[in-house]
Amino acid sequence: MTGGYDERCAADLAAVCEGRDLSREDRAWLARVVTGAVRPNRDKPLWDLGHALAALARLTGATKGRDLVSLALDPGLARPALIAARLGAARAEGAALDARGLVLTGDAGWRTTWAGLSRLLALAEFLLTAEDLGQFATVSGWFGDLAAAPDGEAAAFLGKRLARHLAAYRNEHLPLATLERRFRALFGHLRGRTDFEDDDILAFWCAEMEGGERPGFRTIAEHFVTFEAAASLRGGLDGLTGAESLEAHAGWEERLDASLADLVADEPAEALVDLLAGLVDGPKILTGAERDDLGDFLRLEPFHRSRPLTTLRATSFGRVQSGLANRLRRGGGGPDIAERVACAEAETYPALAERVGSLAAHLDRMLRIAAALRVPADAEGLGPEVRDALAAAVADIRRVRRAGFDDPDLLTAGFARADAALLRLAEEVARLQRAVATLARQRPLAPAFASDRDVFARTFARAYAPEAAA
Amino acid sequence: MSPEGEPVSDEAARLLAEIHAARGLLRTASDAVRPSAAALWTHVLREPGAPVDLALVRAIRTDPETARRYRALLAGQALAHAPLAIAAAHGPVSSRRIGPFALQILAGTEDAPPLLIVQTVGIRPPRLIEAILGDETRRLALPPPVNGVILLALDPAVPEASRLGDMLQDPACAVFLL
Repeated sequence: MTGGYDERCAADLAAVCEGRDLSREDRAWLARVVTGAVRPNRDKPLWDLGHALAALARLTGATKGRDLVSLALDPGLARPALIAARLGAARAEGAALDARGLVLTGDAGWRTTWAGLSRLLALAEFLLTAEDLGQFATVSGWFGDLAAAPDGEAAAFLGKRLARHLAAYRNEHLPLATLERRFRALFGHLRGRTDFEDDDILAFWCAEMEGGERPGFRTIAEHFVTFEAAASLRGGLDGLTGAESLEAHAGWEERLDASLADLVADEPAEALVDLLAGLVDGPKILTGAERDDLGDFLRLEPFHRSRPLTTLRATSFGRVQSGLANRLRRGGGGPDIAERVACAEAETYPALAERVGSLAAHLDRMLRIAAALRVPADAEGLGPEVRDALAAAVADIRRVRRAGFDDPDLLTAGFARADAALLRLAEEVARLQRAVATLARQRPLAPAFASDRDVFARTFARAYAPEAAA
Repeated sequence: MSPEGEPVSDEAARLLAEIHAARGLLRTASDAVRPSAAALWTHVLREPGAPVDLALVRAIRTDPETARRYRALLAGQALAHAPLAIAAAHGPVSSRRIGPFALQILAGTEDAPPLLIVQTVGIRPPRLIEAILGDETRRLALPPPVNGVILLALDPAVPEASRLGDMLQDPACAVFLL
């Protein structure tokens, strides 16, 4: 998933998420607030933050900005239970605590839960530390203005200031306009349909290549991943954007927010990428090339299960296109542009299918070894077949010619760390393998590749013509 | 995405772009900077002479990026600060302005140590002074003002105080009043 944010934004967010050790759901919430994916009003969390800080200022007797900064940055307040314990039964004029959380009395009854408060403090930390502390003096100064007179009016004013501030941050660090334009074009391409085929993705990519931006095929496929996830929600996009029609139903705001939360928190591929990242150390269960292959095959999750053709296209021609882009960036190296656009180097679909097969077989072999390292073959209660399988796996270890497989201690420790990840990867690769097999029955891979190569080569040739001629 | 197949509103495209970026951000593995802002903030709020995290102090001294982040927090919370003496004079500086505050150093005599004078008339007085020169940092508590004037003896017998006096006279010394 690429685009829509810069490195600064990713680093600013990572600092808060790691520093507070936020749960996946809280990370997703914070990421949504930062990008603005909050409805019906993307400024609502900032309005809430203004009120939360006003209530906290009253309850803790904070009178200076630094006191509020300390509350926001304190890792001891990063968990709902910690906040509840710390604030105890504090009470002050205009603010109170109850079993559920924080209440700002006398101000239309604004309130939040402990969990909500811990999220809002994470947001406060983000705003204070964003741009690697570049705006700290400004934002902490605003906290100071609030602390001087923490009433409802000051809370709303701070909310407004922070909303403007975050909007400016988005302008600077979240280039959403390109994404927005592309999604609009995607809607236009589908003409109101929410279902689409692999060939829609290809056709849309070809159309986008006519423009000046020359987006990667994989980048375009990622847009379809998000589109599909949003369209599959109950009520679909209409439900997400048609706030007026929803207003008739009680609790629509919460439901809308829950839908958005699912969309972001269910973002699944991070888990797969993480799995691969976790397999770097220890015995060489996967080579660099195997990891790259797995990354390319699985990165468009869930398309490796549901759209094997797009997965094959992204792997085969996505690599050709990154080669082109890298060559243009470096200004040289390897085959020239005219040669690359012909896609002569593109890996054929039958070759990729074969590699999926060998990856599946390799992961299966590694899983057997993992099992044998966990369960001794002479353990009680094993059937003879299982016993034989485990003994065979132990014997197999000696035949694996990879670093670390000759050191029993290293091997046992390495597999103990990796076996959950291995199991998940093996499962996903097996699903890809089945999906590719089904595809091959409907659309034989060799001719499918040949006709795709014509399309990609033609599109590349047109898009990179100026450079190819140079 | 209306049933008539009309183009979906810009709002839907905008929302999808925001969702797409948020999902992307969640996938990005980005290393958080160390030390954390929370750790640096604790150091900013330390009282003079209180125990400090030595690893943190070392990081501030040796890593320019950490030093910059520390100074950003310090400046954000200071009543006033100045990176350099405004009149970048050659030779020692005996007076300088730090925001609304006037600092002066009166040379010592045979019977009396040098004196640091901070004029705070009509403004909230600072409690602490921190001087940073190169990789050296000194932080001292300031006494409450008398008639708007803070007086601190830079006693040669107290190394912290006398060194602070020397540093303040260097035009390159950054000063934070907290």
